[in-house]
Amino acid sequence: MTAANASGPPVLSVRKLRVRAGKRTLLDDVDLEFEQKSLTAVIGPSGCGKTTFVRSLNRMTEMTPGLKISGRVDYLGQNIYDPAVDPVLVRRRIGMVFQRPTVFPMSVFENAAFGLRLIREEENEIDRAVMEALQRAGLWDEVKDDLNRSALGLSGGQQQRLCIARALAVQPKVLLMDEPCSALDPAATQRVEATMDRLKQEIVIVLVTHNVGQAARVSDRVAFLHSGHLVEVGVTADILERPREKLTEQFITGRFG
Amino acid sequence: MPATVESYVPPPPGAELLRATSLSLRWRVSFDRAIGYLLPLLYLVALLPIAWIVYWVSVHALVTLNWSALTDTSPLDTHSLAVPIISTFYVMLLATVIAVVFGLFGGIATAEFLSERVAGWVRTSANLLAGTPSVVVGYFGYFAFVLYFGWGLNVISGSFTLAFFMLPYLFRTVDLAYTSVPRSIREAAYGQGARPLQYLLRIATPIAFPQVLNGVFLAMAIGVGETAPLWLTLEQSALVPTGLFQPASFLTGQIFEDYTSGPGTPGIALAFEAAFILLVVVISLNIIVRIISARFRKRVEGLFQ
Repeated sequence: MTAANASGPPVLSVRKLRVRAGKRTLLDDVDLEFEQKSLTAVIGPSGCGKTTFVRSLNRMTEMTPGLKISGRVDYLGQNIYDPAVDPVLVRRRIGMVFQRPTVFPMSVFENAAFGLRLIREEENEIDRAVMEALQRAGLWDEVKDDLNRSALGLSGGQQQRLCIARALAVQPKVLLMDEPCSALDPAATQRVEATMDRLKQEIVIVLVTHNVGQAARVSDRVAFLHSGHLVEVGVTADILERPREKLTEQFITGRFG
Repeated sequence: MPATVESYVPPPPGAELLRATSLSLRWRVSFDRAIGYLLPLLYLVALLPIAWIVYWVSVHALVTLNWSALTDTSPLDTHSLAVPIISTFYVMLLATVIAVVFGLFGGIATAEFLSERVAGWVRTSANLLAGTPSVVVGYFGYFAFVLYFGWGLNVISGSFTLAFFMLPYLFRTVDLAYTSVPRSIREAAYGQGARPLQYLLRIATPIAFPQVLNGVFLAMAIGVGETAPLWLTLEQSALVPTGLFQPASFLTGQIFEDYTSGPGTPGIALAFEAAFILLVVVISLNIIVRIISARFRKRVEGLFQ
C-alpha cells in the first residue's frame, strides 16, 4: 500500500479505523496511509462510507452526534483520536473542502483570512498569506482587483476555489476534499481539477469523488471503498485499468454506483 | 391568468382533445377561474378589521390631538399625554433591555449549546410562556416582584413583568435566527478550526443579527400594547418617573382607565389619543421590521439555498 511517488514516512496513517452509528457499521477496519505530496482519490458507490472516511481524518465526524469511532489516525506520528488531542487544533492543521461551496457572507479577503484570524495571525502576515493562498487556489487573477467584494457574488466555481484558498491560508499539510466538484459545471470542475493537480505537488490531498473520470485525471492513487470496507488501493492506472477485485471492476465499468 | 380563446383553431381529426368540451369539465374550468378572481377579495376581508380600527381610532383621536397634548409634561395639564408617552418609553426601554439579555442568552444557548433533548424542553416551556395569558403574567409579576421581592408598584416591577411577557417572542426569534444558519456554513467554520465561541461571534451572529433585531422590534410591538402586566405591577402617576422605584403611567393604562368615561368627555378623548399613538408606534415598529428584513435578504442573498 505505498503511494506512487512514495517519499519519507506517511503524513497520515489510518489504522483499523471503524466508525459505527448505532448498530450500523459505516466503516470497518480501514487501513490506509497517505504519503507526502500525493493525491489519493477515494471512490465508491453512494453510501459506501467515503464521506464518513474523509470526515474522520480531521475529526469532523464529531459534528454528527451518535457516531462511535475506534482505531487510530496518526498525523505525523500523533494519534488525532488521543484523548489529550484537541479536535479544534486537528482541524486547523488538516483542512477540509466540502461538496457545496461554503463561503461566508463576508468579503473575498475576509473569507480567505478566516482561518488566519482564528489563530490570531499578525495583520501584515495575513495580507501576504491571503494573497499566497488565493494564488495557490488559482483564484488570484480573478479577484485581485477587488478583494473587498462580497464572496456571495462569486460564481460557484470561484466560491469553491475560495474555499480551497481559505483552507490553504493556514498552510495545512493535508487537504481533505469531499466531492468538491459535485455542484459545479464542467468548466468550473476543470479549473478546480487544475488547482488540485498543482497542489498535489505540495501537500497531501485526499479527494472523495464518485466520478471515476476525475480520479483518473488528477489522482496518483485510488482507494476503492465498498459498504464500509476498503476493497483495494493502488496506483491510479493499475486500479482503473487492471483492478484485482471483481467489485472494483464492476464499479469502474459502471455496472453499479 | 385565464388563457385567451381568440386564436382558436379546431384540432385536426383524431387529435387528443386538449380543450375542455364536456359540460362538467367546462364547469370546472370556469369555477377555477371564478375562484381566481375571488381569492384576492379575501385579502380585503383580512385587511378590513385593521383598516377599520385604524380609521375609527384616527377619526376620533385626530379631532382633539394637538402638539401640546403630546409635549406638555405639567402634572396639572390633564389633557396631555406627554407623561404617559415618556413613561411608556422608559418602561419599554428597560423591559426591552431585560428581555433582550435573557432572550439572547437563552436563545443562543438553546440553538447552539444545549443537547437536542434539553433544547426541546426549553422551547416547549417558551411556547407555554408565550401562551400564558398576559393577566396571569401580570399576576405573577405582582406576587414575585411587587410583594415577594418587595419592590412595590413601580417602574422596576413593571419592566421586569413586561420583560417576562416579551421574553418568549424574543427567545423564539433568537433561537430560530441561530438555528437557521445553514448547516454547511456551520460545518465549514468548524472544519476550519473555529472554536464554538469563534463560530458564534464571527459567523453565526453576523448572519443572525438582522433577524435578532427583528425579534427585538416585534417583541417591543407586542409589549407596548400590553395592559395587564403593567396594570398589576405599576402604579399610575401624573409625573414622569425619575427613578426605578417610582410609579409611572403608561399608554395602555390610560385607555383602560378612561375608556368608560362616556362620549364627549376629556377622558374619552385621551383614551382615543393614547390608542392612536399606540397604533402609530406598533405600525412603525412593524415597518422597521419590514425594512430590516428586506435589507437582510439582500445582504445574504445566495446564502440560504
